[in-house]
Amino acid sequence: MTTTNNRPGSLVLLGINHNTAPIEVRERLAIPTERLADATRTLLHQPGVREGLILSTCNRVELLTLQEENTDADNSSIQTKNKTDLLRFLHEYFAVPPSDIQPHLYEFREREAVRHLFRVASSLDSMVVGEPQILGQVKEAYTIARDAGAVSTHLEALLQRTFTVAKKIRTETQIGSSSVSIASVAVDLARKIFGSLQGKTVLLVGAGKMSELAARHLIHQGASSILVANRTQSQAEKIAATFSSASVLTAVIPFEALYEQADRADIVITSTGAPQKIFDRSHGQHFLQRRRNRPMFFIDIAVPRDVDPRMNEVEGCFVYDIDDLQQVAAANLADRSREAEAAENIVSREVDKYQERLQSRDAVPAIKALQQQAEELRQAELARSQSKLADLTPQQREAVEALTRSLTAKLLHPQLTALRESVRPKDTK
Amino acid sequence: MSLLWLRVAVFLYGIAALAVLPAALYDRPRWRHVAIPATIAAVLFHFVSLAEMLNAAHHSLPVDTHETQTLLGLILALAFLLVYWRYRTVSLGIFILPICFLLGLVPAFHPGQEATTFPLLHTRWIFLHVFLLLAAYAALLLSLLASLLYLVQERRLKQKSPTLTWLPPLETTDQIALKALLFGLPCMTAGLLIGSLIAQVTVGASYFRDPKILLAFAMWLAYIAMIFIRRHSGLRGRRAVYLSSFVFLVVLAVWAANQFSAVHRFTAP
Repeated sequence: MTTTNNRPGSLVLLGINHNTAPIEVRERLAIPTERLADATRTLLHQPGVREGLILSTCNRVELLTLQEENTDADNSSIQTKNKTDLLRFLHEYFAVPPSDIQPHLYEFREREAVRHLFRVASSLDSMVVGEPQILGQVKEAYTIARDAGAVSTHLEALLQRTFTVAKKIRTETQIGSSSVSIASVAVDLARKIFGSLQGKTVLLVGAGKMSELAARHLIHQGASSILVANRTQSQAEKIAATFSSASVLTAVIPFEALYEQADRADIVITSTGAPQKIFDRSHGQHFLQRRRNRPMFFIDIAVPRDVDPRMNEVEGCFVYDIDDLQQVAAANLADRSREAEAAENIVSREVDKYQERLQSRDAVPAIKALQQQAEELRQAELARSQSKLADLTPQQREAVEALTRSLTAKLLHPQLTALRESVRPKDTK
Repeated sequence: MSLLWLRVAVFLYGIAALAVLPAALYDRPRWRHVAIPATIAAVLFHFVSLAEMLNAAHHSLPVDTHETQTLLGLILALAFLLVYWRYRTVSLGIFILPICFLLGLVPAFHPGQEATTFPLLHTRWIFLHVFLLLAAYAALLLSLLASLLYLVQERRLKQKSPTLTWLPPLETTDQIALKALLFGLPCMTAGLLIGSLIAQVTVGASYFRDPKILLAFAMWLAYIAMIFIRRHSGLRGRRAVYLSSFVFLVVLAVWAANQFSAVHRFTAP
């Protein structure tokens, strides 16, 4: 179990991620959520580990530990020992030979470990930069480690700061504001047209994994009705059944009635294998007329295309084919990269601030000891002069007290300032 | 004191107009937290200033162009706050807040000197007449702005260019445009009706032969026609902007006609 220890420990982060290890290695080290508490407790029992946390996602496994600081031994030999201990933990816990792990392993210490943690939680180190899940995963790992008694003062402070930094990056940059997958781009565009998707109707024409995925995204955003049209009636019914739920109304439209009923839908997703266009410009005009110009959004995922691109010229009809969606996704990805630069700057500033605060905190015991020693000296000197000061009035005694206190403070001031300065990082002086 | 409050309000509108840029264009919540409170504070100071101004002048309605401008600015700022409260969008503030700032700027530093002794100006009804018509004008301006934003966003979506994230969704701008018009209609109708009744009692039938008054009724008809067309055909986008622009031009003409009207000027010659 963790012990309260005010001596600063040594922060070590060891791990593998999607950049350093292939899926074959990552899957051998992945820890399911239900086993994470047990793994964290085992980690805490490793020699020298005072506090610890394990982050295990599909893209990374990382051990964040606060190690005992041994001032007697050589620094490099301690670092090697720490790493060996953690490697042994991975080897023993997962029964994976160290030689299989070591080539993919990265290690960060102190300041670099803090920077890495900030970057991970802010999704700067993710496979898809800016994805929002990682912060939740770090928080979950923290909760499990805290409940297992593996996180106390030092890691607690670090992790709280990590969450603040990640939140700051989310609010001060637009790193996660744009979508980078085809399905989420389609949803984003639908939201640009309709605002809220609550109560909107989606028509699926044809079948396809991507069109169904897009429809699921739309349902997740509030779309409440799914219409399905397919040349094969049984196939249409099968697709409709997969979407059916308490909050989603599903219906099958006979393919021959498609042009009479398509205007019921606000969003049409087409993915048929038809060799010629299913919807042309005149269909768009007809639909818009029947909808009294309420907009319609056509998402054409089919190749060859199902919707005549000239339908986009009809006021109120918005047609996006697979290339259009891919272009938007690529542009959004480029936007994220630009925002990532701004986020990296925030991380750098926050790492500096955190280190400064940490080091100031390290100086506190020395400052307190110095102040206490000075106060004891002052009291001793006053006691020694007690007989000579016996005739003083209470006001005069008060003045002497104030004088000695002021002298002590003034004499200590340069030393305390020097002490505070000495723990500040050189670049911030 | 009313001038001081107005200057404070103008200063706050200026701050809000600047803060709303990063708040809307870069979606920075911190700046939104500056823009909205600054607008609320500006509206409060503006209201106090207007009340004091009218009280000091011993008349119930804004008489000179500057007073009318400042009241229009106040109504527009209130409209912006209402849109923010209902739709959580500050995008319209990019245009509305600078207008509020400019409408308040001239009266704040060059207050009008027009004097009047017209007895009508002391009635509450005439204040209502002016206030309701200004509210209708503000609603029309808001509707026109929203329609323009709709047009810009629609073009971006059609051209497959990256959408402007600061623009509200098409359906939201369409809702703002239509609801502003629907709000403006009763205001304009009641405002004209009250004005007509007062004119009938005080001036008589000759009032209704004044070109400004005839133009005002033409404006009302155009306003009704626009709402009818928009509601029944679901007119959106380019054609909606053309229609709103046309009615807005009529409104400007009605406003300008004050300068030439024989019976609708209350100021001393």
